[in-house]
Amino acid sequence: MTQLFSDIALGMSVAASPSGLFYAFLGVFLGTFVGVLPGIGIMATLAMLLPITYHLETTYALIMLAGIYYGASYGGSTASILMNLPGTATSAVTGLDGYPMAQQGRAGQALFMTAIASFVGSIFGVILLAGFAVPLSRVALNFGPQEYVALMALGLIAAAVIGLGKPIRSLASVMLGLALGLIGLDLNSGVARFTFGQTALYDGLPLVAVVIGLFGLPEIIANAGRRDMPKVQATSFRLRHMLPTREDWRRSSMPMLRGSGIGGLFGALPGTGGLVATFLSYAVERKVSKHPEQFGKGAIEGVAAPEAANNAAVQSAFIPTLSLGIPGDPVMAIMLGVMMVHGILPGPGVIQSSPDLFWGLIVSFVIGNLMLLVLNLPLVGMWVKLLQIPYNLLFPVIVAFICIGIYSVNYQVSDILVLVAFGFLGLGMRALNFEVAPLLLGFVLGPMLEEYFRRALIVSGGELTTFIDRPISGTLVAIITLMLAWTLGSALWRLLRARKAAV
Amino acid sequence: MHYIKDRLEDIIAGLVTVGIGLFIFVEAGGYRMGTLYSMGPGYFPRLLGIGMMVLAVVMIVTARPSKVTLSFRFEQFRGILFLGAALGAFALTVERFGLLVSVFLAVLLAAMANQRTTMVGALTLAIGTAIVSTLIFRVGLGLQIRAF
Repeated sequence: MTQLFSDIALGMSVAASPSGLFYAFLGVFLGTFVGVLPGIGIMATLAMLLPITYHLETTYALIMLAGIYYGASYGGSTASILMNLPGTATSAVTGLDGYPMAQQGRAGQALFMTAIASFVGSIFGVILLAGFAVPLSRVALNFGPQEYVALMALGLIAAAVIGLGKPIRSLASVMLGLALGLIGLDLNSGVARFTFGQTALYDGLPLVAVVIGLFGLPEIIANAGRRDMPKVQATSFRLRHMLPTREDWRRSSMPMLRGSGIGGLFGALPGTGGLVATFLSYAVERKVSKHPEQFGKGAIEGVAAPEAANNAAVQSAFIPTLSLGIPGDPVMAIMLGVMMVHGILPGPGVIQSSPDLFWGLIVSFVIGNLMLLVLNLPLVGMWVKLLQIPYNLLFPVIVAFICIGIYSVNYQVSDILVLVAFGFLGLGMRALNFEVAPLLLGFVLGPMLEEYFRRALIVSGGELTTFIDRPISGTLVAIITLMLAWTLGSALWRLLRARKAAV
Repeated sequence: MHYIKDRLEDIIAGLVTVGIGLFIFVEAGGYRMGTLYSMGPGYFPRLLGIGMMVLAVVMIVTARPSKVTLSFRFEQFRGILFLGAALGAFALTVERFGLLVSVFLAVLLAAMANQRTTMVGALTLAIGTAIVSTLIFRVGLGLQIRAF
């Protein structure tokens, strides 16, 4: 117990320091700001603001990035409820019942409950993170390279198979990402791989340009030609008028708790993240509800549960990222990428070697969520005004900021060209229905996976059986095999059934 | 022929994947492979190339009929063209002419991706953004980018 108090005190000394508070505030503020802008999702938000964090100290950079992340999910829900224009799939679930509520003139109540549910979910996730990350990292300290290879493979394959999109295509995305991650000098042999004589590529592809190219540009291009913007439902956003009724509270409290539980569980699993959690919690609420017919027509449970689930998942996603160094979703991949850029090798050692970073982050999550509560309840009117900025005047400015941001990281013009190239890659992949998120996971993990794979086989004297001999890595390999078999099996099964139906 | 036409999307996806996999495999062939015990720089990329080709074969074999979604709306084409030009203009001018000119060009070109934006509006936006971003990034944050 005293250990916990001293850990929290350590976290406080980082997160509650003037700089800690400032960057947490800057993060949640900018995150909400950009997240609330119509048609700009969490990934695009994060990508755009990423360059700013490169100039900060690691801990503050991560505090700010995390703030941007959960700030953007708050903001995304606001846009989703008021305009039915979700930036991401997770906030789309909130809009299912949030937008009908807004149309009925209950936007204030929807926004209020969203803020409360997000806060409850986040705090639940933070508690899980504080409770599980340390023991998990202790276990992981005994891991050899075999376990790491198995864990990374599991994370990548789970992300591809369970996530959105067609599993086989997502697996191909992962492979391409892994290959793209290898670009640059091979650390073991000094051979330049896939650089085609370009010395600018020796250090590998710049993370920021890759992320913005894949996630930000296609979104901007898709919306650039847009002529009409949905109108915001006019409502009063005085705090007094936003207060939910007693009935609203009664109907939301249990869904909030169930949502937090579902989100906390699924967020920590590799590859599933907030998306599965939000959809699942929505489905669960509709199942257990006494009046399922109200769902989709403005049931407040349909706002509270997914919102709590999403935010619990956002926080618990940090468990595998910080304790094992295995990111579960693209946002966590960016976090890991930023840690590596700052010279921290992600893995179970991080919590032990930089406890100030770990506990500072945890305390800053609590502080950041409190700030968001203030930003989103009394000040929500400010964000609603922001929603009325016409997109056609907004995106050119965003383009300019992206250019400056990317250029300012390395002062290399070639980074802008990488951005354009990955923009086209992102467009092409979307056109062919490939998911880009698995590619990013592969890109970040590629060099590590190769390194551990190599090391595992050196340790074992070149025996591939080493991956199944050891109990933990053997179990993981068994799970991977089952997942792959199931994916391939179901693809073939559908094929056979289609053939039979055709005959 | 109908078989291919109905399944065009899956088949194109498979062919593209095969192409990329093959490219990775051939390019990796130029690096020393080594053995499982002591892997050379070519070992892992070769595995990736093979993996992609296997996945591509699965994609083509299990191709299922779907409506072709490979449609480009003209609006999107316009967006690609002007945003590409905006980024290109920035890349070409930032080191030679500095932040004011490059931001001005990038915003002006990007603004034209939307048909609703008027020329006057685009010009005003471009000038305003150029000045404000120079003030923020050059003067305020002190980035090592020339103003002009």
